[in-house]
Amino acid sequence: MMQYFYCPKCKETWPYPIEKCPHCFEKIQREEQGKKIKVLSVCKVQIPTFLHEKTPYFVLLLEDEKGHRWVQKSEKEYKVGYEFLLEKAKDKKNSVVLWKIKYDFYQAIEKIFDLLSIDVLADFKILILPTLETPVHPYFKENTSPEFLSALLEFLFQKGVKKENIKVLGQSFNQFDIGACAQKSQLLSVCQKFGVLPLDVSQGEFILKENLEIFKEVFDSNLILNLSMLKQSRIQSLENLLKLIKKENYLSQEYLSSKEEIFKKLLEILPPVLTLGQADVVQRKDKKHFILDLLLGSFNVLNLERVFSEISFPNEIPPFLKEIDLKEIEIVGRKISEVQVIAFSL
Amino acid sequence: MFVKGVGMTKFDYSQKSWWQFAFEAGLEALEDARLKIKDIDAIVFTSISSCTDPKQEHQTHKISLLSELFKTNCPIIETPSVCAGGGVAMWTACHLKGFKNILVLAGEKVVNSISEDTTDKILSAAERIFEQTEGMLFPVQNALLWQEYAKRFGATSDDLALIAFKNHQNAALNPKAYYFKRPVSLEEIKNSPIVASPLRMMDCALSVNGGAAAVISEEKTDIEIIASAFATDYLLTFNRKEFWHFVASKKAAQMAYQEAKIKPQDVQVVEVHDAFTSVELFSYEDLGFAPEGKGALLIRQGIVNLDGKLPVNPSGGLKAKGHPISVTGLAQFYEIVNQLRNRCQERQVKPVPQIGLCHNVGGTGGSAVVHILRRLS
Repeated sequence: MMQYFYCPKCKETWPYPIEKCPHCFEKIQREEQGKKIKVLSVCKVQIPTFLHEKTPYFVLLLEDEKGHRWVQKSEKEYKVGYEFLLEKAKDKKNSVVLWKIKYDFYQAIEKIFDLLSIDVLADFKILILPTLETPVHPYFKENTSPEFLSALLEFLFQKGVKKENIKVLGQSFNQFDIGACAQKSQLLSVCQKFGVLPLDVSQGEFILKENLEIFKEVFDSNLILNLSMLKQSRIQSLENLLKLIKKENYLSQEYLSSKEEIFKKLLEILPPVLTLGQADVVQRKDKKHFILDLLLGSFNVLNLERVFSEISFPNEIPPFLKEIDLKEIEIVGRKISEVQVIAFSL
Repeated sequence: MFVKGVGMTKFDYSQKSWWQFAFEAGLEALEDARLKIKDIDAIVFTSISSCTDPKQEHQTHKISLLSELFKTNCPIIETPSVCAGGGVAMWTACHLKGFKNILVLAGEKVVNSISEDTTDKILSAAERIFEQTEGMLFPVQNALLWQEYAKRFGATSDDLALIAFKNHQNAALNPKAYYFKRPVSLEEIKNSPIVASPLRMMDCALSVNGGAAAVISEEKTDIEIIASAFATDYLLTFNRKEFWHFVASKKAAQMAYQEAKIKPQDVQVVEVHDAFTSVELFSYEDLGFAPEGKGALLIRQGIVNLDGKLPVNPSGGLKAKGHPISVTGLAQFYEIVNQLRNRCQERQVKPVPQIGLCHNVGGTGGSAVVHILRRLS
């Protein structure tokens, strides 16, 4: 469960994704992950701290068959020697996967696909919809980060998907030029590096479905990936999906219906979309950031946003999400209480 | 190198600035050395504070402020290295070439504003992404490490309680310790709340504010630094090959004994980095005072008590004197120099020791510095 990297020549390993071995300058490779994970020791923590306010909690020292050791927070007390198993989602359509990024988006993406049992075939046509809203550098945490998009493209190429079958979408609903947003966010350079087509949705074809003009290619693709940059008090994953509607049509719909009604209608029309919610460093309402180090994945975008709100800002859940009963959502990978850290400014 | 003078402030929660603590300790060391600032050729300084206080200036160009306070234009080198800062500063000074007199200095105001800020800054001495977001803060790291040690060698929480008790008894005799004249009973220690199982609150060192300093010189004095050794280890505690003791401490100690041309049994007084009582226990082994797994015998048999064969932490240690992060390494130096000079009054080790050792650790064994001092007269 813990990704390690190794030098094929020296056999040294690192949990940090470094580029080259300092001994022989060989390119570092991704090690196959250990499968048998055992609990070595358990520590019960009884005093709250600013990062972990709820006590008691447990910290498990885990070890895999390769001798790699790491720690993991747990709400449950395990016995020493217990063999740790990672269960896959039973309800693929509605489950939410939580995974810690730990400097490695690739593994988090891989785990989400694995736990949701998603098979990616080599001939898949794939649309990727990142958060692309303002022409600012990545450190603002406004747009999807270039590292996340890079890791996703690497993952898809590893699955054999051809670059000509992948399109990265964007559409501006505000005063900013989408090209400027793509350039400043560095998502454009990622597309160029991987030879993937960046596409301005506004220039594409649309088809009318229940008063909504939807980007036509949505209905011709095998997989739609919604790469949302999650934020406090925003339902960013849903706002991303609005970018699949023709701008003029959306603006006119805004006069006729509430945003929530448009969301609901859109979700009924769209084919299944896998949302991958980026929450490594999260932007608060005051634009300050805090570390969460999480990637969330789900085919149910509302469940994903509900879980994110519960983790990061349980006292400020947007009204639209409040009606979703958290107890009804199957959460796999990690538990909410394990990944919750206090929203402390960086 | 030789020691000319040492200085240290009272360790407490007084609200002086980091530079006031450093300046006060620096002046005391200069007076003790019978030198003036014009005689100092270089300053080595260490601190992690100044940014922990939202009301105070956020100063990272500390060396320039020190230049202004001391009215000197000599080179000032800053060596922040978390809890091992004092040791690393001393090691740096010992390895500098071409400077006759060097002032080694530390000042910290770590316990300051709301506890969240202080905790956040102290936590920067460990790993956040892999460990702290998984709930592993310093007490947890040390508790897991101790569990592994106890599993292998059969030591108990009662052994740790004895270490805490010993250090509190010593601190009660040290006017500059936080717990001066405030002895703590063994029962209080054993009944203190569990922080991270099995470590209790009274197994943890006390974060305080303070300053410490030393003047070292190429000129011969009564105290010679016969070894100055420094080793590092991985930040991720459990990614290390051995995680039931500190490899960095072992390596630094081995290098130091080699450099000093002495054996562990030649050492007569020790200041050990007891950030947690468990660290003190296995450091007895890392420093070569007991074979692996036998460290507990030293506390059970009273060998490390003030009147024992090898007194450890006569100052009260980090546990009861207090632990102002970067200052600790130099505070250990202050204690050992004063022990060798027979200046420690009620807590003076008898007979007056000739060889003393300082053991300063950064983080949870991520770095370790060992200095050995010998009284020449």
